Amino acid sequence: MAIKTKKRVTMKDFSTPSESLAEFDPEETIDLPAPYDKIEELPGYKQMKEGTRDRLEASLDDTIAVGIPKPESKEEEEKLVEAFLRGLHNLFSKENNWTFLQPLTLSMEHCARCQTCVDDCPIYEASGKEEIYRPTFRAEVLRRLYYKYEKGGNKLFKKFQQGDIDANWTMISRLLELSYRCTLCRRCAQSCPIGVDNGLITHELRKIFSMEMGLAPKELHEKGTVQQLEVGSSTGMNKVAVMDNVEFIDEDMTDRSGIKVETKWDVEGADVLLIHNAGEFLAWPENPGCFALLLDAAGISWTLSSDLVGYDGVNYGLFYDDAQLARVAMKHLDIAKKLKVKKIVMGECGHEHKALGVIADRIFSGSIPRESAMTLMEDIVFNSNLEFDPERNDFPVTLHDPCNMARSMGIVEPQRRVLRKLAPQFREMTPHGVRNYCCGGGSGFAIMSGNNFTDWRVQVSGRKKFKQILDAFSDVDPGPETKKYVCAPCSNCKGQIRDLFEYYGATEKSGLYYGGLVELIVNSMKLLKEPFIDWEMM
Amino acid sequence: MPTFEHGEFKVEVDEDGFITDPEIWNEELATALATTEGVDEMTEEHWKLVNYLRNYYMQFGIAPMVRKLCKETGFPLKKVYEMFPSGPAKGACKVAGLPKPTGCV
Repeated sequence: MAIKTKKRVTMKDFSTPSESLAEFDPEETIDLPAPYDKIEELPGYKQMKEGTRDRLEASLDDTIAVGIPKPESKEEEEKLVEAFLRGLHNLFSKENNWTFLQPLTLSMEHCARCQTCVDDCPIYEASGKEEIYRPTFRAEVLRRLYYKYEKGGNKLFKKFQQGDIDANWTMISRLLELSYRCTLCRRCAQSCPIGVDNGLITHELRKIFSMEMGLAPKELHEKGTVQQLEVGSSTGMNKVAVMDNVEFIDEDMTDRSGIKVETKWDVEGADVLLIHNAGEFLAWPENPGCFALLLDAAGISWTLSSDLVGYDGVNYGLFYDDAQLARVAMKHLDIAKKLKVKKIVMGECGHEHKALGVIADRIFSGSIPRESAMTLMEDIVFNSNLEFDPERNDFPVTLHDPCNMARSMGIVEPQRRVLRKLAPQFREMTPHGVRNYCCGGGSGFAIMSGNNFTDWRVQVSGRKKFKQILDAFSDVDPGPETKKYVCAPCSNCKGQIRDLFEYYGATEKSGLYYGGLVELIVNSMKLLKEPFIDWEMM
Repeated sequence: MPTFEHGEFKVEVDEDGFITDPEIWNEELATALATTEGVDEMTEEHWKLVNYLRNYYMQFGIAPMVRKLCKETGFPLKKVYEMFPSGPAKGACKVAGLPKPTGCV
């Protein structure tokens, strides 16, 4: 790693207008192994288009995730500042933040500023320790605002003890962008000796912007949860479109596997209501196809739902807006109740797991159990009559742990037991399990690609993961002839890994491919005459 | 919003150059948009692909899955990339005037 002292950015700088507080410099990022060590051979960092800076707020780091239009007048600017301070107030009131007020307040008041957590942040490390990406930097901004505006006590004393901050539009617009430079992976929270959660702080900041000011990335809000609630899916697929696609997938799977695949819709009283991330149907159709084949072969009574929202397990509200989260979760609950299913099984989607399995627990209040597809698959592989031939998976395989499944929920062993049994060349990344690194596309980043944000997430937030993937295969032939499989049981992670491989040319240079877990299971099923995985189609 | 200007055209596009109002699409606009995608000449094969996307979009309101597009037009994915270097979603859909794909795709 290039060692260069980074420019220190103070809280005062953060509120002071300037062109930018940080810029991407490939020389300062962590090194990647060959052949990715030659910066000049990579596509570079896309600069913002001409005129963008005049239209949109972009004074954080020459990168745009949200892209808020610049206020047109001083009055508009003042209104936005007022709205932010009102939102700040609501965030710290019990009536308006019943979900997370307690852990938020604890995180505000108890951080000892020891900075233990900063070494655990893959973004801070990969960027070459860019000051503004330090997990405690963002938290410090909110903490100062909290002490200045919300916490009672002597004003002068608070200013002296906690430090001051100027709540102007420059600061607020930067803070909005900065709340989208953290993937909410919560690795920092895990390393904090007293349990301060800087990931939660980022999440709460996003809530002020979305719930109080109507400011959120359009991919998450307008094209995300809003579209999902209106049309049925964040992909824009209505009922007719999803059923048409699934019919096509069934036919395609039947052709490829030689086994009749027929997806079931709206079966009342089924044991399992399977809810996939709907992105799978469009981008990785073999994933839902393999689930259909596997569940039928194992004799499981299952169904999909064609109801509005029932065929899309995504819940982007988890990333930025509690109200949207609750609206989507309510739909999932109503549909499961209406179909009288015994349980919901959450497909290969990390944030669906956390939204439905953990956060929506209070909404579900014991009515419909939710199970992870990981344990269901483990159960099928170990306890059904199906026979498997692991030799069909005899290529190097590594496993990516989605943060929401592994760190947030502790789902670590089931997917490994399956791989240890069915993938003879399975190898772990270092570190893995609850200590994993985020793919770099967490908290919705994988679907955000406006302006130059894709460049940021493949070169900064996903850099550590890409290095980890390369290191996991360092003992095998590095060339493209040896095909290597990154098993990532999460749609969001897959989207990010696809973009990483595309940017670095990793499939052509290193033979890197990616896919889910169910595909490896079906690939080794003896019921199929031949292996199912077709590298040409991946 | 940024605008796309080419010859007689001056239309509103998003940050990635997708037209924001799919209703204004016509073949002349498609030919103009194609120039931003490194396509200097719209051949019969380009039109076959673009028209397929267009018809699918009119029916279902979204872009088709790539697998389906390949199967139903008979173009292997490699061929699609040869025709539209940024690929089916970013290239072909843009020329066909479809909105940028959304969700975890």
